[in-house]
Amino acid sequence: MTSPLTQTVHWDLTYDVHLGSTWGRFMQGLREQKILANSCPECSRTFVPPQAYCEACFVRTQEWTELPAEGDLEVFTVVWQGFTGGPTPPYAVGGIRLAGADTLLMHVVTGLDFTDPATVREQLPHGSRVRAVWAAERTGQILDISHFEPAG
Amino acid sequence: MAQRAAVVGVGITDATSPRKQTRSHVELCQDAVWAAVEHAGISPADLDAVVVGNIDGFEGTVLGGKHVTRLLGLGPHLPMVVLNTGGTTGGNLMQVAARMVRAGTHDRVLCLGGPTFFGVRDLQSAINTNSPMIVEQPLGMGGFHMGAFAASAYQARHGTTVQDLASVVVADHRKASANPHAHLRYTLTETEVVEGTPLSSPLTQPMVCPVSTSAAAMVVASEGVARSRTSPAALIRAMGTSSDPYLGGGKGDFAVMENLAALARRVYALADVRDPRSEFDVVEVFAPYVHMQPMQLEALGFCGPGEGIDLIRSGATDAGGDLPTNLSGGPKCTNAGVAGELAPYAYTALQVMGDAPESIQVPGARTGLAHGTGGSFFQFENLAVFSRLDPQEQS
Repeated sequence: MTSPLTQTVHWDLTYDVHLGSTWGRFMQGLREQKILANSCPECSRTFVPPQAYCEACFVRTQEWTELPAEGDLEVFTVVWQGFTGGPTPPYAVGGIRLAGADTLLMHVVTGLDFTDPATVREQLPHGSRVRAVWAAERTGQILDISHFEPAG
Repeated sequence: MAQRAAVVGVGITDATSPRKQTRSHVELCQDAVWAAVEHAGISPADLDAVVVGNIDGFEGTVLGGKHVTRLLGLGPHLPMVVLNTGGTTGGNLMQVAARMVRAGTHDRVLCLGGPTFFGVRDLQSAINTNSPMIVEQPLGMGGFHMGAFAASAYQARHGTTVQDLASVVVADHRKASANPHAHLRYTLTETEVVEGTPLSSPLTQPMVCPVSTSAAAMVVASEGVARSRTSPAALIRAMGTSSDPYLGGGKGDFAVMENLAALARRVYALADVRDPRSEFDVVEVFAPYVHMQPMQLEALGFCGPGEGIDLIRSGATDAGGDLPTNLSGGPKCTNAGVAGELAPYAYTALQVMGDAPESIQVPGARTGLAHGTGGSFFQFENLAVFSRLDPQEQS
């Protein structure tokens, strides 16, 4: 009989992560169906989600703006194999360029027919217009936007 | 006094799957360390410090580096630095050790990367613990899903087909089959890659790295120590690291590796590399997902945008080509986490020392480029240029 090779270890830990004032304000905005961004005073780039400091200029961000809840889908992937605790595949996650933003907002994208994997990309080509669909119950978290759907 | 640093010893264990691995984490680390110390021709008492990498949450341990170091059998009073920079831990190990040597306060520093993800049941949910919490983690992206964004954007930009991507996998497996330390040593056809289980479009299972178990270690020494040896060392001519914004959405353009291109310009300037394509004899890049290798070759200045796959298909990056790249098979065929990230440095150093496994050694290699990257969306890059350092002629 061979020696045992492994023994099972299990971690199951829950954390309360503090949002801070910048993301706190962003999350409060989502609760009110507003997508809030802020900008760097030096390079004028606009960040969504907002950030306290510009990562290129290393200065504090300033001006807050509300962005439209619609944008262009620049990239997406179809998840065929998920993971423990994640959504049930298939589903799509994309990077959305909201008008006026210099970053992409990552979010779940719906409205795709997954029947034929080979045609999924063509259904939403680069730059397809998508719009945010708000969750009925909003609690101040990223999934207050339920998902983005084609706006065409 | 500041001094130059060189790699004088490398140890790499054979890799296998977690299921087949009969050695523990600590035992693999011991094997790699003792092989590196022996290759360096020094005794453990000569070491001034150890830099050990671990990624706590990924390894089912906390402070794994601390307990491992005590159990290496290297003796007492050995100063230790634990490095924990997530996916770039392995790629940063040599950078930290070399800075310690260059500062002139250390002459021989051991760096050690053990196996990460050792036995984790669901790697994607483990990797997802390091994706940006709060705004991106809840969206259903694990490791390869985040990798797939760049693959998808690159395809859209250049019209790259799934078949094109598959050709890179075929080349990696062919190379790994010649490397005795590699994990996946079987060859594949393009059709097998294309028809593999879909994971996250456009990636199929064979386009994504395996979970491997192995360990790697290196001894970084001062130029004086390196020159007093009887065999060549790998002088670290230049090195550097660079970061993009942490959020995936901060990357801006997924179809091009702008951050790596910026780092390459900086490191090439330090090393006085003017024509990378002709100056490097050997290259090892950290490309666990299929699209990464062509994109990296482009960012590193070896070809133009969208030409990476043609370069690989041309045979230039094969053994015998003018730019042998990832002759180890790369992380696509062997990825043991921290050890896997240290591997490009370990293999490149071995190549310029002339001590790579015979079946993958580039004859006469003198100049090499090693690359590492990590972060959920590969926001963090690291790079080093090595040159063969011959022993001082005895007068």
